[in-house]
Amino acid sequence: METAAKISMKTKQFLASLTVIYLAALFVTGCEQKKAGPVANDAAGSTPKKTEYTFALVAKSQSNPVFQAARTGAEDAAVELGKKLGVKITVLWRTPNEDDAQQQVNFIEQLVLQGVDGISVSCSEAETLTPAIDKAVEQGVQVMCFDSDAPASQRFCYYGTDDLECGHTIMRELAAVLGPGKHVVAIPGGNQNARNIRNRIKGALDEATNYPNISIRGVYYSKEVPQDAAAKIEEVQTANPDIDGWAMVGSWSLFTDALLKWEPGKVKIVAMDALPAELPYVQKAVVAKLFAQQTYQWGWQSVELLTEKVIEGRNPPAIEYSPLIPVTQTNLDEFAQNWKKWLRE
Amino acid sequence: MKIDQPILLNVESAPGSATVMASGRQRFKETGLLGVLLALGFLLTIFGGSLEERNRDTGSTNTVNKFLRADNLGNLAKDTSFFAIMAVGATGVIITGGIDLSVGSMYCLAAVCGAMFLNYFGPQGPGAGASPFWVVPGAIAICLGTGTLCGLLNGLGVVGLRVHPFVITLGTMAIYRGVAFVMTKAQAFTSFPEQFTDGLIRHQINWQGASLYPVPLAIMIGVTVLAGWYFKHAVTGRHIFAVGGNEQASLFSGLPVNRVKLKVYAFSGCTAGIAAMIMLGYYGSASSDAGKGYELDVIAAAVVGGASLTGGRGTALGALLGALTIQMINNGIVILNIDQNYSQIIIGAVIVLAVLLDRINGTLRDKRLARAARSARETQQELAS
Repeated sequence: METAAKISMKTKQFLASLTVIYLAALFVTGCEQKKAGPVANDAAGSTPKKTEYTFALVAKSQSNPVFQAARTGAEDAAVELGKKLGVKITVLWRTPNEDDAQQQVNFIEQLVLQGVDGISVSCSEAETLTPAIDKAVEQGVQVMCFDSDAPASQRFCYYGTDDLECGHTIMRELAAVLGPGKHVVAIPGGNQNARNIRNRIKGALDEATNYPNISIRGVYYSKEVPQDAAAKIEEVQTANPDIDGWAMVGSWSLFTDALLKWEPGKVKIVAMDALPAELPYVQKAVVAKLFAQQTYQWGWQSVELLTEKVIEGRNPPAIEYSPLIPVTQTNLDEFAQNWKKWLRE
Repeated sequence: MKIDQPILLNVESAPGSATVMASGRQRFKETGLLGVLLALGFLLTIFGGSLEERNRDTGSTNTVNKFLRADNLGNLAKDTSFFAIMAVGATGVIITGGIDLSVGSMYCLAAVCGAMFLNYFGPQGPGAGASPFWVVPGAIAICLGTGTLCGLLNGLGVVGLRVHPFVITLGTMAIYRGVAFVMTKAQAFTSFPEQFTDGLIRHQINWQGASLYPVPLAIMIGVTVLAGWYFKHAVTGRHIFAVGGNEQASLFSGLPVNRVKLKVYAFSGCTAGIAAMIMLGYYGSASSDAGKGYELDVIAAAVVGGASLTGGRGTALGALLGALTIQMINNGIVILNIDQNYSQIIIGAVIVLAVLLDRINGTLRDKRLARAARSARETQQELAS
């Protein structure tokens, strides 16, 4: 009996030792693998190590057409850069139906588990997205931001509009269109929580201080839904008919045709973006000038910058601003043609 | 004979008793709301200030009150119309003790279906040149039909599955918006035939130098009057109150409870379709994010207008006045140049205040009824002795 107990004890000890060794091996391997990610990327040099790469784009909202152009840009870039480097680049599109930072976090976590090589994200709310971006980077996935940045995160770069400068530009151009004399200007604000809009408003208000003849009546917030935004602008303009200029740092209201009935030139408007629905406003001279963001480039550059970082092992600049494209009656037709390509019409 | 009514009032569980109690109280509630609106209007007239306005026709300038300007009042009426029409429909549902959270999504889906149709036959669509004599009625039928169908599906879910309307309409809220999203592929649809926009819904009249859009206002008044008459005078309309007052008692009294519920949900969908039609005509575009969050605005308008979330009470006129109150507050925030960030706090406070007022009214009513019942009992005893 004693011998049997001793044998049983030895077997238990042996099994326990095996378990410890197995767990230790697992732990060491795990650590090695964790370290291997970034090292492999850094050592990648200019020649690709794999033949297939997967990048993912997480935009703010499916219902915003600017992101559809970004998607087309990303898909086009994947084909062209893939051919150039002799690799297959797949682009995954993971975007919430409506602005939802929490869902963006879920998408990033799923993409990391899925084993993508890089992610480009337009942050609905930088503060919510920052921990998810940091976690992805720690797990060896390269992350960049486009359109809306998370500057406090470990993302390797940002590509998009300089929102502060954008606000300055809109107000500067509006001041030029308004000319000398006393003027009253209003700013549509959209969603109070959107960081990019807040920066544009700040830029516009800062710029307005350079023009003593311009007084700002107010910043008027609304849902970033075309009909709601147009209703708010009509309400404000009706209640304040002395407003003779609108610095539209966000142009949701122009996605409807409700303001097309405004007498051209009576109230001067300079607005952001140049989506297809906004172009008739320039054509009918209700809007003096639109400033288009390079939305197609958001997607294209996302794939190009991720390619540089992940496949070629280079380090792009931390911030790359895309300039705004002015759209007036002179280049309206030319610009309208772009949308046919971007929306694959 | 004189003692019949007090005896009926004393039988609180009888179907219809809530109705009898409600009518007098509702009149009081609407009077109260009218008082609130008048007070608001008075404050805005006094504190809103005035401005120099140039008459577009004559070129002369004159000083006008900011709030009372025809342009401002016309705009206020237009903004109110969307919510008021939907609130009238939602009130029917609320009277039965139900709730419709899918109002915003039904509005969106009806708008998107109508927009795709109008875009197809619009100046840049493949069907350009089609006769407006059938395109315009077709668009109206699509908006109203889609809304009614969505509402009917809600009703079928509530009646057939016997699930609380909160759950059913929460589900359909997501489904309808999802369908709208898939249909539009996130694109906004614009470019509609002028006969539908400028020729009908956005038909403009100039009055004292102001541009007014009477069609949304006329539709809002029409819907309110029709629904008001139906709720108050039609037998089937009175059934709605009976079901909301006491569903079990209504069932035992032989009322077609399920049919009543189907009707109110279909009507709610229909009003969402009407509002969507006005939106399409006025704004000339629709996308899958149209009407986002409207369900809460609509329910708020109905509640401020006196509809009780426990059922049995509410009027079409109250819903209109509730929507107008909320829009007037929004308008006042702009006119008085109050920081926009405070608007939600102010509107929220008004809703809480309305519910509080309702509770106080309820307590006063109970006291009045108890007094009436006591006096009726005493009269009966006197007659018996």
